[in-house]
Amino acid sequence: MIDQVSLSNKSLLRMATRHLNKFGSVLALALVFAFFATLNAKMASLAALETMVQQTVIVGMAALGMTLVIISAGIDLSVGSIIAFASVAVASLIDSVGLSPGQAAIGALLAGTACGLVNGLLIARLRIVPFIVTLGMLLVVRGLAKGLANSMPINVGGTWLSDLLATLPADQKWQLVPPGAWLMLLIALLVGGFLRYTQLGRHVFAVGSNEQTARLCGVAVERVKIFVYAASGFFAGFAGLMLMSYQEQGDPTGALGLELDVIAAVVIGGGSLSGGEGSIFGSLIGAMIMTVIRTGCQLNGWPTWVTQVVTGAVIVIAVAVDRFRHRQQA
Amino acid sequence: MLKKIIKWTILGGALALLAACGSNDQNTRLRISVIPKATSHEFWQSVHAGAIRAGKELDVEVVWIGPEKEDDRQQQIALIDNQVMNQVDGIVLAPLDKVAVLRPVKNAVTKNVPVIIYDSNLEGSEDIRTSFVATNNREGGRIAGEQLGNMLNGSGKVVLLRYLEGSASTTNREAGFLEALQKFPDIELVSDEQYAGVTVASAQQASENLLLRFTGPDGKLTIDGIFCPNESSTYGMLQALRRQRLGGTVTFVGFDASESLIEGLESRDISGLVVQNPFKMGYIGVKTMVQHLKGEPVEKIIDTGVAFVTPENMNEPAMQELIKPDLDKWLNMQ
Repeated sequence: MIDQVSLSNKSLLRMATRHLNKFGSVLALALVFAFFATLNAKMASLAALETMVQQTVIVGMAALGMTLVIISAGIDLSVGSIIAFASVAVASLIDSVGLSPGQAAIGALLAGTACGLVNGLLIARLRIVPFIVTLGMLLVVRGLAKGLANSMPINVGGTWLSDLLATLPADQKWQLVPPGAWLMLLIALLVGGFLRYTQLGRHVFAVGSNEQTARLCGVAVERVKIFVYAASGFFAGFAGLMLMSYQEQGDPTGALGLELDVIAAVVIGGGSLSGGEGSIFGSLIGAMIMTVIRTGCQLNGWPTWVTQVVTGAVIVIAVAVDRFRHRQQA
Repeated sequence: MLKKIIKWTILGGALALLAACGSNDQNTRLRISVIPKATSHEFWQSVHAGAIRAGKELDVEVVWIGPEKEDDRQQQIALIDNQVMNQVDGIVLAPLDKVAVLRPVKNAVTKNVPVIIYDSNLEGSEDIRTSFVATNNREGGRIAGEQLGNMLNGSGKVVLLRYLEGSASTTNREAGFLEALQKFPDIELVSDEQYAGVTVASAQQASENLLLRFTGPDGKLTIDGIFCPNESSTYGMLQALRRQRLGGTVTFVGFDASESLIEGLESRDISGLVVQNPFKMGYIGVKTMVQHLKGEPVEKIIDTGVAFVTPENMNEPAMQELIKPDLDKWLNMQ
């Protein structure tokens, strides 16, 4: 009898920690947001929410792919460069080649995917560690972006692409956030569903948890790896499209160092760099947390160095809490 | 074994080839390295064009080589060291940091490679550098402050969005701007603690948040004037203003010119730009170095000047030459 009670208590506790795992990042976001909202009521205004979501889309979009990579126990340092490359690709396809914005957008997605595919092939076929391959590609692709753009930003404004991440006009405020943000959420749902319900999605987890076991169980490890890096390239390409929409120019020096923000978003959202863990939902929350901190600090007029200290601290605290929970579970 | 031999033979061959390339036209033409802070802002492209022009006119070889990004001090240090190792005849350098690159510059000078500093100051280099070719940045900032003050008729709330910590040229512009504002007792500085950061996107985000902070309940801005101290921060602010449909509702003064900033002047979203003469900087930088190498005396400090461009005066020929220089003509020559 006593045993049974303690058992049900235990399973209750387990259930609680599982939900905490799932919603821990949401809780963190709520806390950070509430903190800044009490300091400055403007933080909770619709305009502020719109701005914050708008500022999260580029990192969020790239984080979708990075989540897959990190779950598979890999890393992709080239996303910042791919974002810049894709933004330049859209701009020059419109500006020099004369394609329609829609065609150019598809071109950018293909360009991003191609970069990712190269990453994947090098990692899977040549068996070079992802860190090195993508570090190399970081430079290669950045160089290509500069070469393609002739080292100057290419200005392309006034197409419907610019509206993807533009602040909504007064009569369209009912949409709450710009179309690019809705697009990102929709794609995030699809990727989340893919990870959870498809065989390939489960294989990504399997490869990240234990590559040898996955191989023994018949998972085509190499193919899974090529897939996740290609996907990461695709989403970085999408983020590049968003960058071009945001800045209204293809910017060969854009998104410098952004890969670190993207990795941080995934890690804050519960992704583990040793693989097998991570969620699309968590990563988006992670990206949002970083934007909320930056906006909160700037709305309160805190100096830039404070913003950086706070962001860094939150990344470490988030991961520390995550590790702590894991130890509790084990 | 065979593989090893082949490998070493190829390697040796490649090295020999490299050496051959290196020694090709040494001793015949002077080789001058021009090192920018970054390679891709339009500003540096103008410097490049000016340097090429001087190279053509004086028949010297101009080596244009720069770091990837404007805050990569390590890379610039390595670049300077490499140019010294390559035994160039002189270095014309825009230091990324007002102190960090002093060591490699000293190293160059002790190895008899003279250095001209341009665009930004390098503290402690006064005695070893051949010359300092730059905009008087403090003066440029002062002009921005005075013009903004006059446009606001001497009263109102003003925001300064700074560029990047540790960048000497923009720090001086910011200081000059703040100094000029002192002359207007009715102008209140409401924010000067935010930095735009290196990329346009980071500048745009900081600008959006600043605008959000200073938007009243009626959706109108509660500030009257804005100043940004370089091209990327000015473009980021321009984008933020336009996309929030606030363009033209505030007096906005920027620094430097690019295609998109000129367009901002035309649409009157920007009220004025302090424009430097980067083409002249590249041109004078190389020219002064050649004079020095030929043993002629050179000025220790050369001011390349600034102008204040507004929608009203931008079509004057003198201004057009500053804001729309024919870069392609020179850049395509190399």
